[in-house]
Amino acid sequence: MIELRGVGKVFNQGRHNQQWAVRDVSLRIETGQLTCLRGPSGSGKTTLLALIGCLARPTLGRILRDGEPLSGLPERFMAELRRRTFGFVFQRFNLIRGLSVLDNVMLPAYPEAPAHEELRERALGLLRRFGLGNLAGQRVEWLSGGEAQRTAICRALINRPAVLIADEPTANLDSRLSAEFMGIAAELVASGKTLIVSSHDPRVYESPAVQRLVGLRDGRLEEA
Amino acid sequence: MPVHPAILALIGVSLTVSALLALAGAFAIGVVRHWDLTSGSERQLRLERLTYLIATLVAFAFVAELISLLLLVYTAETLSDQFVGAMCATGVLNANPWGWPALFLKIVVFFSGAAWLTLNRVDTRSRDYPLVRPKYALLLGLVPLVWMETGVLLRFLLNLDPAVIVSCCGALFSPAGQGVAAEVSGIAPAWGLALLYAAALPTLAAAWWARRGAGAGLPLAGLALLHYVLALVAVVSVIALYVYEHPHHHCPFCVLKAGHHFIGYALYVPLFAATAWALASGVIAPWRTRPGLRALVDAETRRLAGRSLMALLLFHAVAAWAMLSSGLRMAGVWW
Repeated sequence: MIELRGVGKVFNQGRHNQQWAVRDVSLRIETGQLTCLRGPSGSGKTTLLALIGCLARPTLGRILRDGEPLSGLPERFMAELRRRTFGFVFQRFNLIRGLSVLDNVMLPAYPEAPAHEELRERALGLLRRFGLGNLAGQRVEWLSGGEAQRTAICRALINRPAVLIADEPTANLDSRLSAEFMGIAAELVASGKTLIVSSHDPRVYESPAVQRLVGLRDGRLEEA
Repeated sequence: MPVHPAILALIGVSLTVSALLALAGAFAIGVVRHWDLTSGSERQLRLERLTYLIATLVAFAFVAELISLLLLVYTAETLSDQFVGAMCATGVLNANPWGWPALFLKIVVFFSGAAWLTLNRVDTRSRDYPLVRPKYALLLGLVPLVWMETGVLLRFLLNLDPAVIVSCCGALFSPAGQGVAAEVSGIAPAWGLALLYAAALPTLAAAWWARRGAGAGLPLAGLALLHYVLALVAVVSVIALYVYEHPHHHCPFCVLKAGHHFIGYALYVPLFAATAWALASGVIAPWRTRPGLRALVDAETRRLAGRSLMALLLFHAVAAWAMLSSGLRMAGVWW
């Protein structure tokens, strides 16, 4: 379980343009569920995901996972935990142009230094699972939107994270691909992963795959 | 003050380190007073974020201090040709009353800095900042020491006057003179060497023991400190004589000269490093009993003891080589 206790995040603190992106958020996210953060643009969804996934540190409050504080960890442990526990699917996928699909998927595992052949097999296995086996050698700039998204999901899963975080995963997809993503999400939850997605797309938060809906507005929680 | 690049570098390093430690000292007060890992307050999170930055700054400051100890000795040695009566660093350090205190304070800061760096290393390798308070409390103690060292060093360097005629090692390190240097010079070479090896054997044994993970950090630190003192005594009373191939020249600084192939650096660098690593293993030893830290402290002690052991062996190898390869033959006189 991931627990947030009075978490807040301010940007440009102490300056004229100071902005509280997240304020006083206390929340429990159960393991093995698909939780959706719903809210309009600017409501703090992306910031909250970044805080949960240890991509950023809160300005105040604590984030715990199974009782162990995450947000206060020294950076060297934070990086290790981020790599091993969380997988990220970014809104614009952030695939690295010029590299192949396979190389993009393998990249986050390099700091862990597994045997190359084993890593390659793991990456190819993921690509096959998501229907991309025949595109492994293709450069990512030639992929369609859906293929790019599935590549990003494979990359997020390469380190076998317990928690998958997806920020506005359907923002650049049509209805068919959005439905496909929700199907994949349901499969991942069924396989034991915890999924946290942010979205203001009804195709996501109204999907039956979503087990918990958390509303956000102006950085604060609102009753869903 | 003679304008010399090394003097400017020394002044620059000391002022920079003092300024960095002033900044770190202010932060350290905040940590000692307000650190509370159970709190999620804005202040606590700010302290957590800043502790890495401050620790990194302080680590750089202390590494600069370690290097500047060598630079001070080198500078004093280099300037000796500008002072009437000076033949080595001893003469330059004698040029005004601040020379020797500056050197001694640099040595104290060297060892203190090494201890702090080790505490910092253990602390940053733990998930929950277990040594953050002791680390910053120690830093608070070191800030005035470093400031004092900077003050004394500045007085020494800024008051160097090449017009002053100085006395050098021949007068200071002579059994006929007065003071600690004269007393040490007067120790019989056989005693000097016997005391060195009497301290070296248990120190090497403690380092070997600690390297195998037996948690012998404190005994190693104590023995290494004793060994350090007796090694300096042995350098003055016997080893230097063999280097100079002269039975009455006891200076511990002339060994740094090119004419003696800079052998002094090969003696002092391993000796100081070995002592610093051993002392550091003693500084972290008390935290071995804290839950969750035992494995980390043991691993660090093994690493420090291993390095200390290697450096001790190097010091003794260089010292033995200096004596055995010397043209000075004193069998029947000293032995």
